[in-house]
Amino acid sequence: MPSASAFANLLTVERRPAETFVLANGLQAIVLPSSRAPIVTQIVVYKVGSADETFGQTGIAHFLEHMMFKGTSALGPGEFSRTIQRNGGRDNAYTDFDATGYYQTIAADRLELVMRLEADRMADLRIVEKELVPEREVVLEERRMRIDNVPASLLDEAARAVLFGEHKPYGMPTSGYVDDVRRLGADDLLAFYRRFYTPSNAVLIVAGDTTADAVHKLAERYYGPIPDRSIAPRQRPASGGTNLPQGVTRADRRVAEPDWSRDYLAPSYRVGETRHAYALQVLARLFGGSETSRLWRVLVADRRLALSAGADYGALSLGLTSFGLSVHPASGHSIDEIERAVSEEMKKVLDGDVSAEEVQRAQNRLLAAAIYAQDSLGSGPRRYAAALSTGNSVADVEAWPQRIAAVQVADVIAAARHVWRDDGLVTSLLTPEDRQ
Amino acid sequence: MRRSLFALAAVVVGLLAAPAGAVEIEEVVTPLGIKAWLVQDRTAPLVALSFSFVGGTASEPESRRGVTSVMASLLTDGAATLPAQAFRLRQEEAAASLGFGASADRLAGSLQVLTASRDRGLELLRLGLTAPRFDQAMVDQRVAQAIAGLKQAEQRPRAVAERTMMASMFAGHPYGRGFEHLSETLKTLTPTDFKERAAALLRRDGLIVGAVGDIDAADLSRALDHAFGDLPLGMPGATGPAVPDWVPTGGSRTIVVDRPVPQSAVVMAMPGILRRDPDWYAASVLSHILGGGQQSRLFNEVREKRGLAYNVSSDLRVSEKGSLLVISTGSANERVAEAIQVIRGEIARLRDNGITEQELADAKTYLTGALALSLDSSGAVASLLRGLQTDHLPRDFLDHRAELIGAVTAADVNRVARRLLRDDAMTTVVVGKPVGLVSDR
Repeated sequence: MPSASAFANLLTVERRPAETFVLANGLQAIVLPSSRAPIVTQIVVYKVGSADETFGQTGIAHFLEHMMFKGTSALGPGEFSRTIQRNGGRDNAYTDFDATGYYQTIAADRLELVMRLEADRMADLRIVEKELVPEREVVLEERRMRIDNVPASLLDEAARAVLFGEHKPYGMPTSGYVDDVRRLGADDLLAFYRRFYTPSNAVLIVAGDTTADAVHKLAERYYGPIPDRSIAPRQRPASGGTNLPQGVTRADRRVAEPDWSRDYLAPSYRVGETRHAYALQVLARLFGGSETSRLWRVLVADRRLALSAGADYGALSLGLTSFGLSVHPASGHSIDEIERAVSEEMKKVLDGDVSAEEVQRAQNRLLAAAIYAQDSLGSGPRRYAAALSTGNSVADVEAWPQRIAAVQVADVIAAARHVWRDDGLVTSLLTPEDRQ
Repeated sequence: MRRSLFALAAVVVGLLAAPAGAVEIEEVVTPLGIKAWLVQDRTAPLVALSFSFVGGTASEPESRRGVTSVMASLLTDGAATLPAQAFRLRQEEAAASLGFGASADRLAGSLQVLTASRDRGLELLRLGLTAPRFDQAMVDQRVAQAIAGLKQAEQRPRAVAERTMMASMFAGHPYGRGFEHLSETLKTLTPTDFKERAAALLRRDGLIVGAVGDIDAADLSRALDHAFGDLPLGMPGATGPAVPDWVPTGGSRTIVVDRPVPQSAVVMAMPGILRRDPDWYAASVLSHILGGGQQSRLFNEVREKRGLAYNVSSDLRVSEKGSLLVISTGSANERVAEAIQVIRGEIARLRDNGITEQELADAKTYLTGALALSLDSSGAVASLLRGLQTDHLPRDFLDHRAELIGAVTAADVNRVARRLLRDDAMTTVVVGKPVGLVSDR
C-alpha cells in the first residue's frame, strides 16, 4: 500500500470549498468563488441528455439546445447571445448523453444580466416554425461536420449501438439519426422542454469573482419565482448490448491507415459494480493513459508495433459506461499482431502483475491533472456540472482525490478482472478501402 | 469510446482585447541578462512558464523540411543521461508538464509545475533545452508519427482546405511551402539534423519568457538563469533561407479539391494586416463584425437565416512576414455554392456600404471585454505575456488597449474594409464534392 506521504504533495493542495444552497423550487446551486480575474462563469446544467430520448425522436435533446437560443416572450431570436456579446461576454452550450449545459463567461459586474437571461429561457422558451426550419439544417450540418465527414465517428456510432444495445440509451447518437431530426417539430421540442427544463431538474453553478451571498440573492430573484414541475427519476438500463463479443469494421476510402480499438462495458459511479469506478480510473492511467503507460511502453516504445496506444475510462455516467483501448498500428504490422500484443499485456494485469509503484504513479498523474483543471475557470465548474448531472454530489467531487489515493494494487487487479471480459466487449476496426 | 459532446459553438478565434481589471506585469532581468514578464498569482500552488525562441518552420532548409516541428517534440524525449522513458517518469514525479512546438516564425515551449516540485520541473526544462538526446529510436518513432499524421490530414477536408489555401496565397514564399514530398524528406532526417536545428534555434538572444503563478521575482530570476543560462548567446545561425516579407501576388482563384465527403470544407483567404500596422484595431473590429462570433454578419446570414452551415467565421491570422484575413465554413455539397455566394455578397456589402454605428459599438464592447475572459488559467495568462512581447507591445499595453480600441471610428473601419475586403485577391478553396463548383484553373 502506498504510504500516505506519497500523496502529501498533491492531497494537501488547498481546494477552494464549494458553497451550496437549494432554492424552494428545488434548484440546486453551487458557488466557486475565485478572485483571480474580474470575471464570472455561469453554468446551468439540466439533468437530461440524449440518453433520455426514445428511438424515433433521437437528437431532440441536442436540437432543443439549439432552439434555446431562439427566443422567449421577452427576447427575440438570437438576442440571447447578442446581448451577452454586446456586454463583452461569451456563451455556449453542449449536449451530452446525460446532460445539457448552458454557460456564459462575462465581466463580474454583469452576473445579474446572465442570470436574468438564463432564468428567462428556463421558464419561457418560444419555439416557432420560422426559426426551427433553418436551425434544423444547422443541426444537420453540425452532424455532417462531426460525424458524417469523419469515418472514425461513423465507426464509433456503430460500435456504440452494438456495445450499449441498439435503440437503447447510450446506443443512440447524441446528434440523432437524420430521419428523426428531420421529423422533429416545434411541438415535440416544446413537450421535451416542458418535461425536463424545470428548476428541480437543473443545477446552477457560478464560478469566479463573486460570493455565495451575492449569487444566492440573484438566484432567489431570478430563478426563485419559476414554478417547479416534478420529474420522475431517470432510469438507465443495468445491461448493455446482447450477443457480445462482437466486431465492427468500417472500410472507408477516406481512411489513410488502419486503427484498432476495443471497448468494454464498464460500471460508472452509479450503475453496475460501482465499487470499481475509482480503481478503473487508475487502471486506465497505468495501462494506457500516457507515454509511460504499459501499452505505450510495450507496443510503441519497445516492440515498435504501433505509433500510438491508449486507454480511457470515464466514470461520470448515469448508466453504464465503457473502458476503451485504442491502437494505431505501425506500418507493416497486422491487426492480429496488435491484438495479440494487447492481449498479452492485459493478461499480465489479470494475472496480478501490477506494481505498487506504477499504481502510485498513475494516482499522482490523476491528482495533478485535477489540480491543473481546478486552476482553470473553464474546467473547474465543468467538473461539478458533469458530476451533478450524473447523480453525484458536491461531496463526491470533493472526496475524489482521497478516493483515488485510496486505491490499492489489489483493487486495480480486481477492477480489470471485472471489466475485461469477453462477454462485454466490442472490437472496432477502421480500415482503408482497397484502392486498386 | 468517445463521449460525444455537441456544442453550439461559435468559436471566437484569436480576438485581441483588454482585461477589465488590472494585471500587474513585472519585468524581471536576471543576472545573466534574461528578460521575462511576470504576473505573481498565489491563487493556485503552481507556476506556468511560456517562452519562445527566434526561428520556426519557415526558415528551415528545403532539404530538411519538417525538421523543426519534429525536433520540438523530441526535446522532451530524453535528455542527458535520461532516455525518453526515464525523462517522462521524472516529469510525472514532478507533476510537471513540459512541451514544445514550432510555428512558422518561432519555436515555443511551456512548463507547468506545482510549487512543491518547482525545482525539479525547472531542471527537466534545463535538460531538455541543453542536452536533448535525439536517440535514433525516438527519431524513428516521431518521424513515423509525423508521417502518419500527414497521411491522416490528407483525408480531413478542413486540413486539406487550409493547406491548399496556404500554398496558393503564399506561393513562392516560405509560408506557402506545400506538403508534397514532405513525408519523403522526413524519412531522410537523422539525429544530427535535429541536433543542428536545435543548436541553431535554442539561443538566448531573442528569447521571450512569460511567467505566472506562485513565484516571486527573485525566485524567477534564479529559475530562469538555471533553466536557460547554459544556452549560447547570439541569434540563430543562417541554416536556412531568410524569410522575406510576403508580397501578395493578387488575383482571385477558386480551387476545388475532390474528397468523398457529404459536407464540403471551405476556406476563403485575402491578404490581411500586420500586427504593427496602425490600422490593426480597425481591422480587428472589421473582422469581428464580418465573422467574429454569434452576432456577426456571416453568422447571421449564412447560419441563422439560411441554415447553410454550422460554423462560419472570419479571423485575422498574423505572422511576422505576412498576414491573412481568413473565412471558414462547411456546408453540404449540394448547398455549398450558395453558402459561398452569400459570403461573397456579405464581403461586397461590407466593403461597399460599410458598417453601422451600432455594429461598431457592439464590436468595441466585445473586443474590450473578451481578453479578460480568456485569462482564466495560469497557462493562458503566461501565453498572453509571451504574445505581448512577441508583438513588441509595451508592458503597460493592457492599460491602454481599451483606449486603442475605443478610438476606432466607423470611417476607420470602412477605410480598412475597402483595403482588405478584396475579392479580386481572394483564394477560395473548397474540399469535398461541391455541386456546381469547379476550379477555375
